[in-house]
Amino acid sequence: MGSGDRLLEFISRRGFRKGWTVFNIAFFLLFIILPTVFILSYAVTDWSKIQNYVLNDPATMDLIIGAVVVSFEIAAIVTVIDFIAGLPVAWMMARKEFRGKQFLDTLIDMPLAVPTAALGFSAAIFWAATPNPPPFSLAVISSPMLLIILLHVVFSYPYMVRSLTAILGGIDETYETAGRTLGASRLTAVRTITLPLFRAGLVTGAILCFARSLSETGGTIIALATLYGRKMVEGDFQTGPTLIGLWKDASVSDPSLLPALAFVSILLIVLALVLLLVLKVVIMKVRLPLRKVWPTPEKLLSRGLFPKFKDSSAVLFLAAIVLVPSFFIFTYVFTGTPAQADWGLFIDALVTSFAVASVVTVVDLVTGIPLALYIVKNRSGRLAQLLDVLVNVPLIVPTAALGFSLGLFWSTLDSGAAVPILLIILAHIAFTYPLVVRNVVGAVEGVDPAFEETARTLGARPLQSFRRVLLPMIKGSILAGAIMAFTRSLGETGATLAVVANANTAPVYIVNLVNSQSYYLAAMACIILIIISYMFMLLLRRFTREEVV
Amino acid sequence: MPLVEMKGVSKRFGKVVASSGIDLRIEDGEYVTILGPSGCGKTTLIRMIAGILEPSEGKVLIGGRDMDGVPIEERDIGYVFQNIALFPHLNMLENVSYGPIVKDVSEEERVSVPRRYLELVNLLDRMSMFPSALSGGEQQKVALARALASGARLLLLDEPLSALDARVRMDLRYELRRITKDLGLTVLHVTHDQEEAMTVSDRIVLMRNGRIMESGSPEQMYRAPKELFTANFIGETNLLDGVVVVSGDDRTLVEVRDGSVVEAQPSGFEPGDAVVLSVRPERVHALNEGLKAVVRSMSFMGTYIRVTAEADSEDILEFDIPVPRGGDFNVGDNIHLGWSMGSALVYQRPPGGIAEAVKLE
Repeated sequence: MGSGDRLLEFISRRGFRKGWTVFNIAFFLLFIILPTVFILSYAVTDWSKIQNYVLNDPATMDLIIGAVVVSFEIAAIVTVIDFIAGLPVAWMMARKEFRGKQFLDTLIDMPLAVPTAALGFSAAIFWAATPNPPPFSLAVISSPMLLIILLHVVFSYPYMVRSLTAILGGIDETYETAGRTLGASRLTAVRTITLPLFRAGLVTGAILCFARSLSETGGTIIALATLYGRKMVEGDFQTGPTLIGLWKDASVSDPSLLPALAFVSILLIVLALVLLLVLKVVIMKVRLPLRKVWPTPEKLLSRGLFPKFKDSSAVLFLAAIVLVPSFFIFTYVFTGTPAQADWGLFIDALVTSFAVASVVTVVDLVTGIPLALYIVKNRSGRLAQLLDVLVNVPLIVPTAALGFSLGLFWSTLDSGAAVPILLIILAHIAFTYPLVVRNVVGAVEGVDPAFEETARTLGARPLQSFRRVLLPMIKGSILAGAIMAFTRSLGETGATLAVVANANTAPVYIVNLVNSQSYYLAAMACIILIIISYMFMLLLRRFTREEVV
Repeated sequence: MPLVEMKGVSKRFGKVVASSGIDLRIEDGEYVTILGPSGCGKTTLIRMIAGILEPSEGKVLIGGRDMDGVPIEERDIGYVFQNIALFPHLNMLENVSYGPIVKDVSEEERVSVPRRYLELVNLLDRMSMFPSALSGGEQQKVALARALASGARLLLLDEPLSALDARVRMDLRYELRRITKDLGLTVLHVTHDQEEAMTVSDRIVLMRNGRIMESGSPEQMYRAPKELFTANFIGETNLLDGVVVVSGDDRTLVEVRDGSVVEAQPSGFEPGDAVVLSVRPERVHALNEGLKAVVRSMSFMGTYIRVTAEADSEDILEFDIPVPRGGDFNVGDNIHLGWSMGSALVYQRPPGGIAEAVKLE
């Protein structure tokens, strides 16, 4: 018996497998869920501080409430816009065959390749009415709120289209056809049959968009800094996350800001959880009016020019509102004034970012896949169901609040001595881990357990049947999750700044460049980051395609 | 005037030809089945009538009106799907009411019509249940009621019974025919099950490789199929290679491979023509003389015993003997097989061989 066999023998033992499962569940609860919600404990332990510094300070209260309300308003508006503009495109992707579909498919994902920091800068120089707008920019937006809405639409749009497409593709088209054979026009059939059936997809899409908008920090800070032409200060337009970013920055020298910081974070986390729960219930409970029929108007809208108009305006929206602002930054290189830079610092930042993203992705995979398998294989169990719900929590918690919570958690355990890069890694694991688990859970659920059972009856150990049978089938989804996690980590600013205020990662470097108005260098750095991220996206597409073939 | 007419209809999906040169007329009130093996293009055909697919060439007319550009919802058809497709978010009454609601009929009909059709399929008491709570057979009955309640005169049934259990399938066949005949509807029923086609239809249209092979009443199709493919696909048959030795007005004599000569119906072939002889298992009998064969297997089937025998001509013949046993032989015995002249039909031997001519793809 070789040592390999003995190792296989050992890890196939019931005891080892049980221990491994327990370890992974414990990892998830201790390293992801607990730090994420740790901030809530601050409300219990330091309530008096919150009362003194926040509740009894009307100026701070106003600032906090204003920022949080703005965040929710923006998230709600963005979600609605994404839905209206995204639905026709999702429909085309799921239901129609046309030339250039592959191309459109790639276009939709493009903004995901751009780190949010770069995206914020790119969109801002395109839209914002700054004193010296770059050539070809529209430079029409002077309202910060409008600018942030436009920006958030850009990076949440792909999430909405992707989740709507996935669910639409899963709904049997026969239902709609059946409705039409019974006399319903296309629009009536969609409204009364398909839409009610795809409420679940709507919830997923809405939650993803809402959470993405609510938690976005880096891009927002950059866009606002670009609009103002300077680093943001307290009196500027603030969203919840930008306020956290600002205070976190300032709290290094002024610890009295900590209670306020904790309070915004708590408020954002609690409100996000409550609101999303409400959203879920509302969408699932509200019935679309079936009894109401408007045969003639709906018939008119189902035919002729209207559908073409709808499709082409949806694609136009994708091009003009989503894609052009995302990549506008490229024009800056040709029209901007070149500047000398200390590229050494940027390369350091880039190396740090890649090291962090790589470590984070590996940890996500090693601990996330077993958890995903546990969730799917114990579907009927209480614990698995609970874990399945808990996995979503880091997704809907604003990353800035999450980062702050994590920083607080780890520094409590080891005050002062915490290694900054370790904190960044732990913070990034918390919000990327769900991406891996969600993808793998979805994929494993689609695989008939009979394949693995057959492998077992043929004499394969559990690990062997996983590696030889299940793994090849879900490879594509694992890669999808891994690269989502990687690019997400690579582009994240808010959480990074919230755990370590003076971190030097690539997106933070870009934020600093924008804050000091080194726009040409910021643009160059953005482009380098975009190109690297895009190469990863291409890899992802290639691997997932292979799986289909 | 026929209710449905297809003139030179073809449908291509890229390079794949799903239907080609379809000419078909369906009379008002007729119950027609489109029968054929999987992938023969039968579903494509009714989908073109429904307007779910547009023909690549040719015309579809319903009630004399050209359907080109007419959307599904304006064709006044009832469509029953193989996968049943009851709307999962609506209960039975709401499902059946869907047609009347979207067609915006009067308030009174909107209430009475759905109930009437649920009553017709004996499921009025289930009206507030959701699809998942009903059995497959009940669901398909509701789907039928739903199609009927939309006021359609033309009913398109796309393999309506194939998702159901064998027993339920049998019962529903008769119910389908009874209900549609009572209502005087025109029905186009797609199926790959020849027994189902025989049971329900006024007329069977047999398709293969996107073309119509042959059409006729179930009895015609069974007793006097014009094509070898039909003889093999509808019912069971034994096929023997042979050469015509005598061709007269009263009979054809065919020499099979071992040199023995058997009888068949008059055929119009010339002596020397290469032919295939088709004879149904229930027409083959063990006799005192005739084709020499060895019994290879005997299977008890309940009301009869299925015997498989290998003739000296190397042809395999299947035939049935009644229970209690009508023959006194066992596996391995030498027997003689024969049939009456009228039971055997003669076809031109296909150039690609028998297997190619009766292949199901």
